[in-house]
Parts: sequence; C-alpha cells; structure tokens
Amino acid sequence: MLVLFFYLGDVKYSIKCEKVREVAPMVTLKKVPNTPEYFAGLFNYRGMVVPVVDLCQLIQGRPCEMRLSTRIILVDYLKDDHTPYVLGLMAERVTEAVRRSEDVFLSPGINMGEAPYLGGIVMEEKMMIQHIDLDLLPESFNFLPMLQNGLDNAQEQH
Amino acid sequence: MKDLVILKEENCWKRIGVWGREIPRCPELKRVIHCRNCEVFTQAGRNLLERDLPEKYKEEWTQVLVAKKEEEFPGTLSAVIFRIQGEWLALPSRVFAEIIDPGLVHTVPHRKTHALLGVINVHGEIQLCVSLQRLLGLESEESFEDENRKRYERMMVVNKDGEKWVFPVDEIHGIHHVRPERFQNVPVTVAKAKSTFTRGIFGWDDKYVAFLDDELLLYTLARSIQ
Repeated sequence: MLVLFFYLGDVKYSIKCEKVREVAPMVTLKKVPNTPEYFAGLFNYRGMVVPVVDLCQLIQGRPCEMRLSTRIILVDYLKDDHTPYVLGLMAERVTEAVRRSEDVFLSPGINMGEAPYLGGIVMEEKMMIQHIDLDLLPESFNFLPMLQNGLDNAQEQH
Repeated sequence: MKDLVILKEENCWKRIGVWGREIPRCPELKRVIHCRNCEVFTQAGRNLLERDLPEKYKEEWTQVLVAKKEEEFPGTLSAVIFRIQGEWLALPSRVFAEIIDPGLVHTVPHRKTHALLGVINVHGEIQLCVSLQRLLGLESEESFEDENRKRYERMMVVNKDGEKWVFPVDEIHGIHHVRPERFQNVPVTVAKAKSTFTRGIFGWDDKYVAFLDDELLLYTLARSIQ
C-alpha cells in the first residue's frame, strides 16, 4: 500500500494513503476565533468548506513552518450518517510517498491516552517511524462535533 | 544500505558523480549506477523545497483550489494539432512516433512522385520525407513566409504498422483532446484534395481544425511511392 511520509519538526511520521484525496500546497486559510490553536482555519476546497488542522501544533505544540514543502493533506472521511466530508491536515516536508507492504505496520501495544491516533509504528530499515491512524484522528478534535457524532448530534447541541 | 552523511552544501554529483570528471569516482556509483538513484541527490532536490513560502504562491494556489476540478470526459479523441501554411490540421496522437527539429532532407533522383521530398536521417535510420502540403494540395501563402514563423518549423515522425513517415510542418500546437460530438462534417462544397483526407472538422479556440484520416492518408502515400 502507499504510505505518505512527512515531518513535524525533525520527527518523521507516516500515514496510509488510502483515504488521502489530494496533497495540496499551502493556501491562505480563514482563521476562526475561539477555536483550539491546532485548528489552522478554513479554506474553500473546490466549493467545499474544509477545516484544516495543523499537525505540528497538535502534536508538538508549535505551528508549521511556512515552507514550500509544507502542504495540506486532504483526507476523505464519512460522517456517521454516511455523508462524506474532507479534512485538511497541515504538515511539514510532505515530499515522499512510497509503497510498503501491510506487515510494516506494527502496534507497540502502548495505550496512548490523549492521543490514540499515535499508537502505530512503521518499521523502515531499522528505523521506527510513528504512524498516525487517520480513523482515530478526528475523535481528538472536539471543536468539530460533527466530525465525531455525525451532523445530527451537532445540530442538537445548538 | 549504508548511512550516507548528507551535507547541506553537498554537490558531489557535479564533482565525483555522473556530472563531474573528478577522480576518484564516487564509490556509491557502483551501487546506484546513476546519481539520480542516490539518496544524496534526492535529498538535495528535496532541500530546494525547504525555502520560505512566497505569498504569491500561496495566493495562487488558494485560487486554484477554489475551482472545481475539470472532469475528463471519457471517449475523447486525442489528436496532435499542427499547421501547414495557413491551415490547422490534426492527426490522431497514437500514430505519432515523435516530433523532431527540422533536419536535412536528401533528395532522391529519378523520383517522379510529387509529394516525396526525399529521405532524412532520423536517429541513424533512413526515413521517407513527404510533403503533406503538396499531398493535400495546400497552396503556399506569402503571408506565412514570415521569418518569425520559421522558428516553429518541426518535423513529425509518424509510425503506422511499423512504417515510418516524416512530414515537415510549419508549427506544432501539441496534443488536444476532442470530444467526438464536437466533430462536424466537411462541407461538400470544399473541392480541395484535402477534403478527401479529412474525417471531420472541429473547433479549437477561434479556428477550425481539419482532422485527417490517418488510414487513408498513409495508405495513399504507401501506394503512391511504390
């Protein structure tokens, strides 16, 4: 399967490409006040409003450096009511996609507590690269209730 | 794989790699054959992307991503559009072997065929060079003998069933995808020889392009030079 490598600072991370729709260059984002710092903003992606999460800020607590290699990974998700939505993940040095077999994905069996999406490891020539589970990622974004419980629940909260 | 020390200012490919002449040669070359397969070279390329993000670039991409993706229509015909004198013509892309710069055409004596210009050397092979202009009966127009236009001259190498033909043309536009429903029939009043070779006409920008029948054209050519 295709695996996308990127960096957050000096640390290399990987995600599976199955759900990645497109890797887009950095764009101007519409900032939204009173949201967590790791929420970088919204942008108009082919007519859809797509929220973008700064993975650097989320995992390392500092914003992504604005470089040419800093890109937005657009990921396809399904809400609980099966309507599709797209989420943007901003990361640094998104320059490498490689083919790897399924057995390079290992689970070290650690309970990650607040960051369940960081559980996996990819073995790469003796190097261990942390793997981000895209399925578990939106659960940590409590500012986007619709991403967790479907749109209906989000409307109920209003 | 050995751990390679990658320096920021490294330019070994220009010194001991395939783009350099220094001796001793890079020991890694034995393993990677060419520098482009080497980690050091790849990393140096990636480092180019570690530059600051220009504001204009960001703005441009913001605009690009707003637009809906252009859907490709299935069943489109891929054609190479080219120009001879004032006429824009097209041939299916699949018959093209390559486009080359104009070369020297050696005339063949005792050849009476009007359209045959001679033979030309293409990658060490001798190919027949044929004037589409004469074959199709297109007249020379004075206005197109402009010096500026000369620089667009190319030669198309067409390959059909293993037989290659070389056609000099005045300009190549490139590959264009045409939807089949865009084709219009050739007006019956067109009395030029061109019309017999034309399968249809399609609009492209503000011009009309004659889509040539490659089967008929090359068949006629093969017959005429025998």
